[in-house]
Amino acid sequence: MSAALAEKVDDDLWSAIGDPTRRRMLDLLLVEGEGTATTLSRHLPVTRQAVTKHLGVLDRVGLVRATPAGREKRYQVDETQLARAVAQLASVGSAWDARLQRIKRIAEAIQRTKQD
Amino acid sequence: MEFGTIEREIYVEASPEVVFEVVSSPDHLKRWWPDDARYEPAPGATGEIVFGDPDADGAVVAFTVVDARPPRTFSFRWTHPAGEAAAEGNSLLVTFELTPSGGGTLLKMTESGFREMGWEVAVLEQQYREHVAGWDFYLPRLVPYAATLQVRS
Repeated sequence: MSAALAEKVDDDLWSAIGDPTRRRMLDLLLVEGEGTATTLSRHLPVTRQAVTKHLGVLDRVGLVRATPAGREKRYQVDETQLARAVAQLASVGSAWDARLQRIKRIAEAIQRTKQD
Repeated sequence: MEFGTIEREIYVEASPEVVFEVVSSPDHLKRWWPDDARYEPAPGATGEIVFGDPDADGAVVAFTVVDARPPRTFSFRWTHPAGEAAAEGNSLLVTFELTPSGGGTLLKMTESGFREMGWEVAVLEQQYREHVAGWDFYLPRLVPYAATLQVRS
């Protein structure tokens, strides 16, 4: 995968997770193990059609996987892709680690200057 | 699973007064984070931080001071849309809490708001990471004792 494509996928992944209804759907799917647009819409203040649309977004970025179930599709969370999204947030954390190290070094250097 | 908050703690061998200055003043901020910073370190003050060259592919990001109580607390919001007041839901909240400890300071940082802001900050962070390499170059020029410092991100 080219770097540009990887970036695009990541952007979409974050957009998919950026929506509160979709996060709630992921939470529900994780708790229940699986769900359809109908079962999910019972727990959400949105229509089944809206849920279907959101599931489509999650499916496109690979956060959920669908299997046919009668006239509907049954969805499960893709743990690997979810772990990837979580890892990206972790990289935000490591950026803070680097910043805090710099804060520490700058502050300690100033302190030493004052003591000299 | 919680996408909400990042929490970090670090011990600094410097007084809370010094650490407060480093985490709050725009002149210091741009030595450990953005390339430029323009704001008054006073509660409610609005300003901006700049990553890279805004005329090229850099970014100007809104920055609003929430709380400034030397030498204990400094907090700000960032990433809210320009011209919009910073509030929960449109920005990330960063809080520094300083506690005297031994001869130094325990510095606690929390950043929250990711449930709403996750992907936008990911984009910013990516831009930021592109500049991280630059810190190895900048910092030695800015900090005395540079020769003895090992700057690693």
